[in-house]
Amino acid sequence: MTHFILYAIPIISSLEHIARNILDWIHTRLGITWAWSIVVLTVIVRILLVPLTVKQIHSMQNLQRFAPQMKEIQKKYKNDKQKQNEELMKFYRENNINPAASCLPMLAQLPVFISLYYALKQFSKHPPPGPQDFSWLHFVPNITWHTNTFWGGYVLLVVYVGSQMASTLFMSATADRTQRILFMVMPLVFVFIIARFPAGLVLYWVTTNLWTVGQGLITRRLMPRPAAPEKRTSRTPPKDDGDGGENGAEPKEPEPKPKPAAKAGPPRRVRRKKQAGRR
Amino acid sequence: MGAVTRVPGYLGVGLVWLYRVTFGALFPTTCKYHPSCSEYAIQALKTHGLVRGSFMAGWRLLRCNPWSRGGYDPVRPKTVEPR
Repeated sequence: MTHFILYAIPIISSLEHIARNILDWIHTRLGITWAWSIVVLTVIVRILLVPLTVKQIHSMQNLQRFAPQMKEIQKKYKNDKQKQNEELMKFYRENNINPAASCLPMLAQLPVFISLYYALKQFSKHPPPGPQDFSWLHFVPNITWHTNTFWGGYVLLVVYVGSQMASTLFMSATADRTQRILFMVMPLVFVFIIARFPAGLVLYWVTTNLWTVGQGLITRRLMPRPAAPEKRTSRTPPKDDGDGGENGAEPKEPEPKPKPAAKAGPPRRVRRKKQAGRR
Repeated sequence: MGAVTRVPGYLGVGLVWLYRVTFGALFPTTCKYHPSCSEYAIQALKTHGLVRGSFMAGWRLLRCNPWSRGGYDPVRPKTVEPR
């Protein structure tokens, strides 16, 4: 049903055309198979999105430093989701936090996804003239086939689930445990829907997920966590309770705080390590 | 306002739901605003109708970028008398 709705929109058909032309260009210019053209296209899209994702990873690292306070807020308002969210947003604003996740970068990938979906569908109906190689790495005989119609597709699906979970681990910014678990479980549910998609689309997905994981690993290693410009929150609290008190987030661990207060530098590092270890 | 005039807005709401159960679920992300962009879109479409609601939702999406601060940003109620 949705196919008809989407096809009725002229944008879809032009997107499909663009995707097909780009794939065609990569295929003929670079002289690679259609499957590898999809991988290259995915990499190009992700390279274009690098500035957005780097920014996101930075703000996520920043966000993690405030995890204890945020958990405290969540605990305090656990029965009132609306109030909890409002308080969290207030907390972000007061502490100058830029929450990592935002909808625009995710939406930027949507047109690529939709166009690829329809381009692959068209490929299976009207393949380009002449003998074509639609296989990939010997275990995917044809990327236009539905993923659940050949054994290699199942391998691809397993890789998809694994990569999706790993990328969720890196990119989901939410501190809410239930939400994190939900995001982790989702690929297991969606794998049944995705199984009916063309294998080339799953290939796109796997590539983009693996890119996310790689990017996460590299940024974590290469870029040190932001040099704590908002240190005031961890430095000042031992003296005056005002900082955490504003948000009702302070009373979590009253005893350990006064001890490290005398040496503000080292204990903070220890705390950060602990946080990193927990993740 | 009659029920008929609200139909286009509800069509928009239907599209947002379609997005939610398809891509929204496939590419999970948490929004930096509260209410989230899709919830905001639904509320805006219900309150302000298809045209204005769509513009409001579009503007919100543009604001929901890595450089913005996020935060509590509810849909402004209609200035005319409540239904």
